[in-house]
Amino acid sequence: MPEQRVLICQQCQKALEPRKTDFTYLGHSFFTDILTCPGCGQVFIPEELAKGRISEVEKQLEDK
Amino acid sequence: MKRAPGAIEDCLQNEPAFCRVACPFHLDVRDFIEKMQRGGFNAAYRTYLNAVGFPAIVTALCPEPCQGACPRRLSGGAISMKLLEQAATTYARNTDPVRYNVPAKQKKVAIIGAGPSGLACALRLAERKYDVTVFEKSGRLGGHLHQVLPPEIFLSDIERQFDREKVELTLNTEIGSLTGLDFAAIYVATGANGTDFGLAQEKGGAFASTRPGVFLGGSLRGKDSMQAIAAGLRVSGAMERFIKAGGMNHPDEMTGTRLELGASLVASADTVRPSNGEAYTRDEAVLEAGRCLQCSCDACVRFCDLMRYFKKFPRRIAEEVEITIHPGTLDGNGTVATRLISSCNHCGLCQQVCPQRIDTGGLLLAAHRTMREKGAMPWAFHDFFLRDMASANGEASLARRPTGHETSRYLFFPGCQLGASDPRYVTESYRFLLEHWPDTALMLCCCGAPAEWAGDEAVRAQAMARLRQDWSDFGKPKAVFACPSCRQILGRHLPEIEGVFLYDLILQQGITLPLCAPGTTASVFDPCASREEPGVQQAVRALAEKAGFELAPLPLEGKLAQCCSFGGQVAVAHPPYAHRVVATRIAEGGHPYISYCSNCRDIFARAGKPCWHILDIQLGLNGPDRAPPTLTERRINRLVLKRRVLEEFWKEVGEMGKPRMDLIVSAELGQKLSDEWILETEIATVIEACEKSGRRILDPATGSFFGHHQIDHMTYWVEYAPRSDGSFELRNAYGHRMRIEER
Repeated sequence: MPEQRVLICQQCQKALEPRKTDFTYLGHSFFTDILTCPGCGQVFIPEELAKGRISEVEKQLEDK
Repeated sequence: MKRAPGAIEDCLQNEPAFCRVACPFHLDVRDFIEKMQRGGFNAAYRTYLNAVGFPAIVTALCPEPCQGACPRRLSGGAISMKLLEQAATTYARNTDPVRYNVPAKQKKVAIIGAGPSGLACALRLAERKYDVTVFEKSGRLGGHLHQVLPPEIFLSDIERQFDREKVELTLNTEIGSLTGLDFAAIYVATGANGTDFGLAQEKGGAFASTRPGVFLGGSLRGKDSMQAIAAGLRVSGAMERFIKAGGMNHPDEMTGTRLELGASLVASADTVRPSNGEAYTRDEAVLEAGRCLQCSCDACVRFCDLMRYFKKFPRRIAEEVEITIHPGTLDGNGTVATRLISSCNHCGLCQQVCPQRIDTGGLLLAAHRTMREKGAMPWAFHDFFLRDMASANGEASLARRPTGHETSRYLFFPGCQLGASDPRYVTESYRFLLEHWPDTALMLCCCGAPAEWAGDEAVRAQAMARLRQDWSDFGKPKAVFACPSCRQILGRHLPEIEGVFLYDLILQQGITLPLCAPGTTASVFDPCASREEPGVQQAVRALAEKAGFELAPLPLEGKLAQCCSFGGQVAVAHPPYAHRVVATRIAEGGHPYISYCSNCRDIFARAGKPCWHILDIQLGLNGPDRAPPTLTERRINRLVLKRRVLEEFWKEVGEMGKPRMDLIVSAELGQKLSDEWILETEIATVIEACEKSGRRILDPATGSFFGHHQIDHMTYWVEYAPRSDGSFELRNAYGHRMRIEER
């Protein structure tokens, strides 16, 4: 599982953990849990997520 | 109001087939045949029964006028409708009349005459539960049918069809006058020599007499048996209309069709004869039904990739476009056709093949503009191309006259994609032009097609205004085009700029051909924008033949040129569709292609189809298998081209700024980025931003840094590793359209 790998924020030297993150596209807003630095809030989106779920939602909103 | 020619309302999709118009009952033969073709005898019988009322009588008497109208009569024999109708009746699971569960109407109607027309009318009105009285002066049913058929055939059919209906039958009763008859509507069907009670036909509606509520029809009006029955069935509608709405103006029956059928499309197939000489077996009936052409106008759907892909005809497209650009809800939900509007290649083939010249592509382009103006078109669909256009018209643009010339006869306008594919296409061509016309000016910029296809009128107009100004400053020279799309777009918006094709000039002047290919067979792929340019289509063929090529025609070319998939720049908006179009195009010809649009060439080559640009042959530049440059390389090629022309033709040392970052990208990753519309310059910007801000994420397992940055709308992610020499190794990159709302 990609979520299992430990990723370190280079600014805060803290391990990322899932946190609620907001997204917007074409005037629509929504949120989901994304790996985030508990210190500075920097997020990480792996390629699988960008090409998978995010891309699907983008298409749905474009066709809405 | 008279409509403009080519209006979507003129679409012939719903025009009746020839046979249907010829049929007295207007039987929907396409529907009947479709059911027969799949062995749906029961369903086919229902269609037939609903159309004719008395199937046994009609099958026995019908002279098959459909046969004279059937296009198959010229290619194997007209469809044997009577045998098929017999087969439907024989093999139907259930031939009982339908039991209509409808409440009684409480309205009395009278029918004068119990011949076939009167009975047909009585049957339909009884099914609709009117209180029907039939008056017949003789003592028997059937009227003139007694003269043309054995009574056992028609009487049993009449009995069968009325089996579930109640009708008041008054035999031996001659009606002398309509006065005193208290009925909501009356049908006078008194036969060939019967009385019309002194009433005349009223022209304002089908079957209407001059007296409200009284209708005339059948043999009384000079109709034959089939037309009499058909009139009886149809007049029931006119009578019901009168009872409900009070009008006598029932519309007339269909009298013609605007359908046309290209005879060349009909392959001959002989009539199926019944093996027993009389009636079809089930299999024979299905075979015969299979010969039917189901005549309808579907030229657009057969030719247009988009309509075929979406399985939609122009009318449906127009409806969906309408509700998309004018959605019924305030938040714009229901914009069902956004993807469809964004998928048109704008090749113009739909209008070319349409007998009504309906411009469905034009409708989609207008819709695209409307959506763009309203901000309702997803920005992502054309973002890359508009930024690419901005680059071509910015850092890579150039407009120059040769030194020492105040005016120019010619202006070379290669377009932004030719030099992006290979800068030598432009430098070598320009050198050729200068040899023959030393005052030829050069303009390196975009024609505005990306803005046109994005529906962005403001950007298009701005680009063209500048282009026009430069052309005017050069003394309004004749433009020399290399790209048919540039020619088409400028011809549409700046018609004052006269143009000629580079290939015409090469052919005129002659050129020593470095590449000779004696005996090599290839097919010229006409770019879709060359559709109205037969001159250049012929010039390119002549050049290829001079170079020794044997030319094999493609199924569609010339006037019917097709798009390679680049048109409309739909590849971001609809990747699966674009891939389908490319795959279809390269499969249509078995030989390598020769094109004269660098986009066609590069797209085919990327898909594995060997393809020359005609300049490859004329100037001896590349083989047909040359891998096209990536998107990043294309951008660089434009800058290289600008530097080279400045150096060679204006003796200026062009500035080609050093790349701001030493980025190491493997060829494989470079291609992946290109396929995903990501430029390496954008990646460098993202890494710079990460390095500057320190916002990086370390994956300890691989030593990679991850980071992201938003450029305009797009968010890009990079995975990279800094090297000790100051360079950066790119390990991966990807992007998404969704914006992260970071705290």
